[in-house]
Amino acid sequence: METKEHPTVEKKKITPDKCVVTGKGEWYFPLSDIYETPDNFTILIDMPGVGTDNISIDLRDNELVINGEVSQEAYTDEKVVYNEYNIGHYHRHFVISDAINRDKIEAKISDGVLSLVLPKAEHVKPRKIEVKTE
Amino acid sequence: MGLMKWERTGPLDSLTHIQKEMSDLLDILSSTSPMEGYASMEFPPIIVSANEEHVFVRAELPGIKIADLDIQVVDDVLTIKGERKSVAVTAKATYLRRERNYGTFARSIMLPEKVDVERVSASYKNGVLLVKLPKAAEAKPKQVVIQKA
Repeated sequence: METKEHPTVEKKKITPDKCVVTGKGEWYFPLSDIYETPDNFTILIDMPGVGTDNISIDLRDNELVINGEVSQEAYTDEKVVYNEYNIGHYHRHFVISDAINRDKIEAKISDGVLSLVLPKAEHVKPRKIEVKTE
Repeated sequence: MGLMKWERTGPLDSLTHIQKEMSDLLDILSSTSPMEGYASMEFPPIIVSANEEHVFVRAELPGIKIADLDIQVVDDVLTIKGERKSVAVTAKATYLRRERNYGTFARSIMLPEKVDVERVSASYKNGVLLVKLPKAAEAKPKQVVIQKA
């Protein structure tokens, strides 16, 4: 197996100001990657423990608000012996500009990674200007 | 340092500004936790829990293919190895922000109790790996029957 840099984990606790607090538990700031291709922007967010049923993505004005909730039910009859991470909900928000076609934002979550595809609006896509000959 | 209002300043003002910058820097260098609020740790972070029958090990491993995971139990040591592969992005993609990490990882943990190696099972759901290790018969609590003399 080739050696590469080891992944590390950072979790930052946040004060929920923009998230709707519906249950108990801490809120965390999940890590994300954003990349741009000629046609769209993609946001990837790590949300381990979150499935399609407990995620909400809202577009309010210019803000894309993502909340993911994690259930702690599994631990009812277990005693925690050793703990390295806290189970908590996730919240993150992004401000998006007019360069995004808001009607066509797509989201999917698989294996605890949320991927949001934000297509660029037609007017910002790179285009070639043809030179006409007369 | 946040945004500062632009003001017409005299030459001495910039000295106090430098002084402030220096004391800010000293604060950063001397603070005990430079990453306040962050808990940086080994990957993957785990939680070990137990009930009467089983020991459970959970690990946060978002975005990993089951085929890239290798889990082994030898005596009372559990080893989780694997690789988190980068998403295949086209050559035309430009990263604007990169917080998530990729790469290979391996970690071994000592289990709190003897387990039945033959019956260990693992599942992966929503980016969380759960390894269920049944306790070995000798580690389970046994009721001692008191006999009348």
